[in-house]
Amino acid sequence: MIRDKTAIVGIGTTEYVRNIGRPELQTALEAIRAALDDAGLTAKDVDAIFKIETPSEEPNSELEVARNLGVPNLRAWGGAGYGGGAACAPVVHAAMTVATGMADVAVAFRSRNRGSGGRPWARTGARVPGSGAFEIPYGLVGPVQQLAIVARRYMHEYGATSEQFARVAVAQRACAAKNPRAYFREPITVEDVLASRMIADPLHLLDCSLETDGACAVIVTSAERARDLKQPPAYILGASQGMGPRHYMMNGLLYKDDPFDFPTIYAARDVYAMAEIEPKDVDVALFYDVFSAMVLWQLEAFGFCEPGEAGAFVEEGRIDWPDGELPVNTHGGSLSEAYVHGFNHVLEGVRQIRGTADCQVKDASIALVAAAAVVPSSALVLRR
Amino acid sequence: MADPTEMTPQRPLPEITPLTEPFWTAAKAMKLVLQKCAKCAEYQFPPELACTHCGSPVVDWVEVSGRASLYSWTVAHPPMLPYFHGRSPWPVVAVQLEEGPRMISNVVEIPVGEYEFGMPLVAEFEEVSEDVTLVVFRRAP
Repeated sequence: MIRDKTAIVGIGTTEYVRNIGRPELQTALEAIRAALDDAGLTAKDVDAIFKIETPSEEPNSELEVARNLGVPNLRAWGGAGYGGGAACAPVVHAAMTVATGMADVAVAFRSRNRGSGGRPWARTGARVPGSGAFEIPYGLVGPVQQLAIVARRYMHEYGATSEQFARVAVAQRACAAKNPRAYFREPITVEDVLASRMIADPLHLLDCSLETDGACAVIVTSAERARDLKQPPAYILGASQGMGPRHYMMNGLLYKDDPFDFPTIYAARDVYAMAEIEPKDVDVALFYDVFSAMVLWQLEAFGFCEPGEAGAFVEEGRIDWPDGELPVNTHGGSLSEAYVHGFNHVLEGVRQIRGTADCQVKDASIALVAAAAVVPSSALVLRR
Repeated sequence: MADPTEMTPQRPLPEITPLTEPFWTAAKAMKLVLQKCAKCAEYQFPPELACTHCGSPVVDWVEVSGRASLYSWTVAHPPMLPYFHGRSPWPVVAVQLEEGPRMISNVVEIPVGEYEFGMPLVAEFEEVSEDVTLVVFRRAP
């Protein structure tokens, strides 16, 4: 059991911009050094490194990171798939590793030049391999299109509306306006979202995450050691991964018996069980939000409302900071702060637990962090 | 240097592998085939090495009716690949086959404004290259 055995003791980021002008290995090192400084530790203390991986591309090997940090010995390392589904997974692996005594101080990080590095699907060749062979020739090419089909079916089955999707983007932008790290800080309205250009019907431009360059990192160590370090520890009360049956990536959600049987439902069940909490115990939620609609699916998967009720939940202002019962993505999320495969959400969870968030939830003692709903997923519960 | 507007970008086509070859060979012969588990009798799509319902390694290819209904759709506005430049907005559909599995496809001869959830469709075959015939759908008669 790893419940409460470890804590996040340091966080670090680079700036989040469109064209950072430095390779992903370099920004990874910057974010990790900042996280070590924050914790009051050095590279000499590090003995494990975990990172997010994507199936298609991975520039930063643990080998290069360890060598360039000056780590004397790595006792554990690994990459966790899959992209945004792994937003919490490197921390899950770090916690397992430290709790079992395989290592003492683990780094978990994500570094990504998505603003300037090009879009993965642009490299599609003349012949498409894998299950994409049954989608891309028909014109279903990228994630926004893949999820737009699911979103339209969700609207049909549950009566959700474009206004409700837009409401997520509006709530998060209101938080980003107070966050100096956020890339987009200009407040927006539901009308602005609906008037932004259509990307893949029913999803508009402002329903989509932004594309930025940047890196972020956290440091995980034992709960015991955490108590002697510089920062108030964010204890890892629950940690999980989940995939569910017959799963594909986003392109294949519609091949499942029930496309709304999301991986995150399985991650939710297990993270609550380990943390021994219920939805009502959660003070703030950091939900992976590559598209606005996904936040509705997360609210349902994590039991904050019944399937199909999240649209109304959002519309009633219940995810708004500071007055909603469950403030969501208080940093602005992927829609407004930065797109780092959701790893920036883990850092915001830590800030909320420390009491240092720009949009601080009063007396926050339990923060839930969840990775992408629709791909093999992961989740964390952090406590004060 | 050639004027890029004169270049005709190719439609992205499926890589045909030993696993998927029966599907594409059948499509070329204007037949829709799916894998069916020899043990649990579930149909599946896309093709896999084993049954994803029960894990049995024996799956057979069988011809199916081609009857389907419209499950969902999107209309892609900014084109993501060169072939779709000048062809956008581009509708893409998900259909529910009568036998259970769903497929991504295109609907022919129905304007997107007339799409309705559950509308009955039937498979149609669109030859797009020497070796590739795509399975598309039209309104069921």
